Amino acid sequence: MAAIIQIVVLGLALGGVYALMGSGLSLIFGVMRIVNLAHPALIMSGAYVAYWGFRLWGLDPFVMLPVAMVILAATGVLLYKLVFEREAKSARYSEMTVLLTFAVAMVLEGALATAFTNTQRVTSPGYATDAFFIGSVFIPKGQLYAGITSLVIIGLLALFLKFSRFGYAIRATTQNREAAELLGVNVNLVGLVSFAIGVALAGAAGSLVSFVFSFFPSKHWEWIAVLMSLVVLGGMGSILGTVVAAYLLSVVAAFVGFFFGATWSTLTFYLALFVVLLVRPQGLFGEKPELA
Amino acid sequence: MASTDTTDDILKARQAYNETLTAAQDKRRATWFPLLLLALLAALPALQFAGNYNYLLHLVLYTLCYVVMASGWNILGGYAGYISLGHNVFFAVGGYFAGMMFARLGISTIILAPLAGLVAGLLGYMIGLITLRVRGPSFIISSLALVMIVRIGFENWHFVGGAAGVSLPANGLPVQWAKLPYYYAFLVMAAVALWASYRIRHSKFGLGLRAISKDEVKAESAGIDTRFYKVLAFAISAFFVGMAGAVWGEYLTYIRPNIFLVILISVNMVLMCILGGKGTVAGPALGAVLIVAFNEFFVATLGASAINILATGLIMALALMFFPLGIVGTLARHRKLPRFLNWD
Amino acid sequence: MTELLQVTDVVAGYGDGPAILNGASVTVQPGKVHCIIGPNGAGKSTLLKAICGMLRIRQGAVRFKGDSLVGLRPDQVLRRGICFVPQERALFPKMTVRENLRMGGFSLTDTTDLERRIDEIEDRFPILRDRRDQHAGTMSGGQQQTLAMARTMILKPDIVMLDEPSLGLAPKIVQEVFGIMQVMAEAGITILIVEQNALMGLKHADWGVVLDLGRTLFEGPAAEVLADPRIQELYLGGKKVA
Repeated sequence: MAAIIQIVVLGLALGGVYALMGSGLSLIFGVMRIVNLAHPALIMSGAYVAYWGFRLWGLDPFVMLPVAMVILAATGVLLYKLVFEREAKSARYSEMTVLLTFAVAMVLEGALATAFTNTQRVTSPGYATDAFFIGSVFIPKGQLYAGITSLVIIGLLALFLKFSRFGYAIRATTQNREAAELLGVNVNLVGLVSFAIGVALAGAAGSLVSFVFSFFPSKHWEWIAVLMSLVVLGGMGSILGTVVAAYLLSVVAAFVGFFFGATWSTLTFYLALFVVLLVRPQGLFGEKPELA
Repeated sequence: MASTDTTDDILKARQAYNETLTAAQDKRRATWFPLLLLALLAALPALQFAGNYNYLLHLVLYTLCYVVMASGWNILGGYAGYISLGHNVFFAVGGYFAGMMFARLGISTIILAPLAGLVAGLLGYMIGLITLRVRGPSFIISSLALVMIVRIGFENWHFVGGAAGVSLPANGLPVQWAKLPYYYAFLVMAAVALWASYRIRHSKFGLGLRAISKDEVKAESAGIDTRFYKVLAFAISAFFVGMAGAVWGEYLTYIRPNIFLVILISVNMVLMCILGGKGTVAGPALGAVLIVAFNEFFVATLGASAINILATGLIMALALMFFPLGIVGTLARHRKLPRFLNWD
Repeated sequence: MTELLQVTDVVAGYGDGPAILNGASVTVQPGKVHCIIGPNGAGKSTLLKAICGMLRIRQGAVRFKGDSLVGLRPDQVLRRGICFVPQERALFPKMTVRENLRMGGFSLTDTTDLERRIDEIEDRFPILRDRRDQHAGTMSGGQQQTLAMARTMILKPDIVMLDEPSLGLAPKIVQEVFGIMQVMAEAGITILIVEQNALMGLKHADWGVVLDLGRTLFEGPAAEVLADPRIQELYLGGKKVA
């Protein structure tokens, strides 16, 4: 019994981080209909920001988190302006943008590997290797802090989307771009801002990931399918769905890891992705397939 | 529209226009060029009598391998419009199937290649039945997930050596001639792949695939069995990629997950087709030549694989943004395609 | 007679594609209901999209109260006082009815009386008050169309353009939709409506415009258009046109 509680706790602790990793992806897909395959590479970039902040100046990843968000938001604006804005009128928009984000992912990976080599890194503040004990159940401090921070950030995002004027515009554009435009929403600006917010969330996630997982540039390929499984299971574009899916899969993966070994725990995500596409392509919270 | 012409005049004008079009097309096609190219490539190993051209032969062989794979990819990605980033799975399946048979039974992979292709094609057919239920971005994502799953599978499958793979015996030929069997195998496969690509393009099947690529719902309502067409296209494209994988393993003398199941191989297939011109016959071949040349240039001048990835990504982005139709497609649209590149 | 909106010889199409409109003209007079009819593919919807700024106008003029609208974005055209209700999907399915109405006032710079304006709309269309907390996507087709049309009134626009509001609705509901249109017209809103069912559209209109192959063939008082023998033959069921 204690073992089962332990597994669930570990799964939940990681679930928050996965949720934050996936929510930016979900936001960008919702508003722009871009499947951002570069998202994990952007998270990786955020992780490097936190890593070097810690390594060079001893700054805590939580201090570097806003810095990473700002740097990545700027990267997002640049990417949007250079690459995606001009594709808005493309005939095969969704297919084109997937391939473009794939190319961007390669550029980022190549740039990171050129600058920082493919050495495995991890940020190591004191709490990263420490743990709380409740009876015989332990909770790694790093994962707990990261999970709570993730939830706070996602909560702030949800409040912003639900109550601010711009949040209204973002939700309206997500649900019906044409109607939003016709009611006076500057959808191009909404696209730019949501893209920047989504990439900034990647930066925040990266800072947290930097002490939760070890990382190296080419590892982002492993994350792609993991994150995709979250947004596909949750229903593409639904942030709430992504969060639920993150917790669900994270706990399932923890069980699989416990019974069959760590290699197979990542397989959980990939197989989930396949099964969801097969059985319910619209995911848990999607109302109809947005596939074409 | 108001017009003073009678119906007869219009019909006559239309017929005349169509005739000039067909005439122009016939004039622009040049069957002699691919045949000449084939003859030249077949004669190329004669250089070995004059000196050591092993590296040149390797480069041509490597390019031919990619011609087979990119042409195969093109049948699904170019004609039917289903972009797969996971086609290296079939490269691996072909490579492992033939490689293991070679290691255990000693049958040359060159003989096994068609069989390995069939195995890959069969697997492609089955995977297609599952993943072709979705299209667009979802299909692309599913293809990426497939690579991850298959890679974990091979890395943990002890029978095929896990992550360390299996070594294959080298052939006993003198160094000078050691590459030749593989060279000719790839040359034949490339010729067959291009010929098949041409035949498919001009068949009812190919027409159906292109209709699916343009508008699947309309294609279906026009009476095309889209599901069967797509899955068959998936199988055929997997067949060619699997065949290439079969011989590639023996050529390298080992089979290992990280030579087949790296993302760069998938990307190369996609990139070659996009750069050369997706959905054309010559495009993938032209793209293969360019990308291999380009990779060699980068490895030779910069050496680092990290920069190679960066540059490949950059070229892919630029090609997508400014040349979405690829070289052959763009030239053809402007009616400036040189005769020797019109293989359609 | 002063025109509110004058569209002259407009040429427009989608992206780099061929021109769908090849010299379309419409004269819109204040306070009247204008109906655009024509066969499938004549460019009826395209004309509305060109006016509201969703499509780039390649040639021709669009003048509203004397000012050119050519080159403006949809949000800018909206602020001048022209609302467009697109075909079918005009709502935000996962927002409540109330939120949808609030989105209708998105372009207002002064939102102090937004809630009061929404209350007015709900007085006029009580069904919207009954359903206010329901997700718009879960309402019936007729109710959705009511919401989409009523929503435009929040802005108190000069012109509302309706793209086939009756599409896919049962005949009884279609009558309701035209009823809503009459309510809007009585409130002083000028209407420009595209209608596939020419007879039905012209019956409810003051002015008729006949579009074919992207050009305006004929425009005039709805009664005259209805009576015109050419129109009778081509579009009102006299002779089938492919």
